[in-house]
Order: sequence, then C-alpha cells, then structure tokens
Amino acid sequence: MLLQAASGLERLMYNKNPKGNIQDSNIAQISAALYYQANVVAKLSNSKKFKSAFKKMVFTQIDKDFGEYIDAQARTKPRSLHHVYEWKKSGNKNARLFKLTSIDSDGISFKINYEFKASTSMVPAPQNRRRHVFANKASVMEAGMPLKIAPRHSQRLVFESNGETVFMPKGASVTVQRPGGPGVKNQFTLQYSRFFSGELVNNSIKKSGFKNLFNAESMKAMRIPTSIKTIKYSFSPNTIRSMADAAVESAFGGVMI
Amino acid sequence: MTVNYKLDAMIELRKFLWAELVDANIFDAEEYYSDNIGSTIVPIIPVQQAAEMNQFLSGKKHIVYDKIGMSYEDNWLVCCEQILFTIYTTDVSEITEIRNFMTDLFRRMDDSARDINRSGTLNDKFKFHSIFIADISPTEPSEELQGFFSSDVIIEAKYSRITDLNGRFQ
Repeated sequence: MLLQAASGLERLMYNKNPKGNIQDSNIAQISAALYYQANVVAKLSNSKKFKSAFKKMVFTQIDKDFGEYIDAQARTKPRSLHHVYEWKKSGNKNARLFKLTSIDSDGISFKINYEFKASTSMVPAPQNRRRHVFANKASVMEAGMPLKIAPRHSQRLVFESNGETVFMPKGASVTVQRPGGPGVKNQFTLQYSRFFSGELVNNSIKKSGFKNLFNAESMKAMRIPTSIKTIKYSFSPNTIRSMADAAVESAFGGVMI
Repeated sequence: MTVNYKLDAMIELRKFLWAELVDANIFDAEEYYSDNIGSTIVPIIPVQQAAEMNQFLSGKKHIVYDKIGMSYEDNWLVCCEQILFTIYTTDVSEITEIRNFMTDLFRRMDDSARDINRSGTLNDKFKFHSIFIADISPTEPSEELQGFFSSDVIIEAKYSRITDLNGRFQ
C-alpha cells in the first residue's frame, strides 16, 4: 500500500520544464526523497533478516513476560492453574506444561498461539501403589473433559477417598467429571486472553527494544543518499528503487525476497 | 558498611500501600490485631505465606501479592518490576473500593513515584521513578477461597536502589 501511494510521486520526479512556475529542483528532489524512503520501509518489511530480527526480539520478550505472568498467577491461584504445571509445581518456571508458539504472517507481523506439553512426572499416589503418568494432564483439565479411569494391569481399581480405601468391583471404571477440580476449566485460556487483550502485551512489545532495531539499522538505510541530495531536475524511479534495495541489504545483510 | 540485601522494592510498595489504605479508612488495623503475637498482622501478604494466614484471615478482606518479574533497563541503574496484587473480600463493593483506591494511587506514573518517595514509609535506600497500573482484572468469585470474591491489580514500578560510587548497592 505504501509503495502504491509512493508510485504517485514518480511523475513528480521528472521536472521537464525547469523554466515553469517552480524553477528549482525542489519538487523533484522531495518526491525522490519520499519515494526512496517509502521504498526502504516497504523493502524492510520484506527483508528476511529484518523480519527475523524483529520477530525474534518481540516474541522473546512476550514469551518471557507471558510465562512470568502465568507463573505468578499460578502461585497466587494454584487451584485454577495447577494443571498447566507438573504435579505439585504450580508456578514453577521449569515445570511449565505450556509454551507459546509463533506463526509467520505477512510482512513483519506474526501470530502467537499456545500449545500444551505432555506431562512427564508421575501422578502423586500413596506409596506401594502403581504409579503412572497423565501425559495430557494440561489439555484434558483445561478443556474440562470428563475422564474415565479403568483398570488395565489389575483386575480392579483401588483408591483412597476421604481417608478410606475404596475397592471397586472387578473391571469397573470410575469417571472423574471435572479432572483437576471445578476451578480449572478454561482458566489458562482466560489468563491467555487477559494477557493478550490488555495492556500487558503492549508493555511487553515496548519493552522488547524493537525500537532499537528501527533506530539503529533502519535509520542507516533511511538516510537520503547523496545523489538525491544533489540538485537535479529529474530522477529515475528504477535507480532509486535499486538504491533502496542496496541500503536495506547493507543495513541488514541477508537475502531480499 | 554492610549492605542489606534483604531490602526489596516490593516490600516498600506494600508498606506504602498499607499506610495509605489505613489512612483512607479502607482497612481498620485493629481488625487485624493478633493476640497470639501481640501485634497487628498486615493483611497484604506474600503468596508464599497465604496458606499459613488462611485461618487468621478467614472472612477478612486481604490482599495477596507476588512478584511477576523484574528486569533492568539499558540504563542498569533503573529496575523495572511488575507486581501482582490479588484482592480478596467477601463483599464486591469492597473490592471495587480497594481497586479504585489502588488505581487512584498508582496510575499517575511520575506523580505516584513522587508520593511514595515523599512518604514517611520509604527506606532511604530506594528511589522510585515511575509507577503505573499495567492491568486490572474483573471481579469474580474466587476459586482459591470459598466465599470470597477476587480481583487482580498489576502494578509496574521503575525504581533505583541508591548506590555507591562504584554502582554497588549502599
């Protein structure tokens, strides 16, 4: 869109009648300068190296801040968020069962999503009881899916309930209507949407330092080349586009697409 | 001179908040007097102590806090810290009152920092530069404490610890 708008400048870059009303090179030069900068900005958003540096910088910060936000929420509200951590490690950074992922989108934009990781720790159980891993703990509890527990290696289920040992009939199963407790369903999703729909994500983007990327390298590329600063009455759009290409390449290196 | 590394900006914020809440008659300190220890327990407690305080704070409005994260800016003298305050009360209107009070107190960036710097509660080893409200959540029934409502207020504070000529904490 920027390039489309800038293309309107092309005809102003030819000052075919220097003896007309405006008898200097100003219009052609200003048009050429704007055309150059518009091309630099447009090419920046297509530079693989710039895109990658920008996304990495922003995503890394969001990932860190979001993780810390969920950790703090889980420490404060373990009943609501214990399911996205390994057993009995609610709020522990190293026991997270969630992670953010980024999906490339047009230009320098990208989408963020989350996924749950498989649990690898044993479900807490009294000693001398068969222990197992509930791999899909996070996703099942978050979705509030009822869980059917049936004997696999033994004839019957034996478990503790309210301090008493319960012996189920042979082969009978137990259905847990709300695994993880009544408070966990959709709680991670709620916190996720709170983080990404409020000011928290904006603060995180600001903190990422992406401005430095624009300030340092991009500003170098945005500097108007001497050939445009020199008084001339006519500029070639092709030459200016090539100069913009070269400037972005020299600032960020890498391949232009 | 020995440096006190136990000092923490989050605790300074808590002291300031408690003084202001009492001053505004939103909390009555006498309600939190413990006969067992013979003094008042400040009902703004770190999350790590929430379980121990459950019985004492049963039915009483209180605030649980935790540090979300901290980082230093390019200027390494300035620390940026996010703190999560979760307000628990049995009455929705009390949550609204505390939340609005905290918003009024902490949303004004430089001016909020100035207020805490000028307060009598601040340890002279700290100087706050800016405080603002990063997020406020709606009030909802608490899953953690039956019968309570809860709401979160997240505060972001920028501050410096006073240093010596070598940049080390004083």
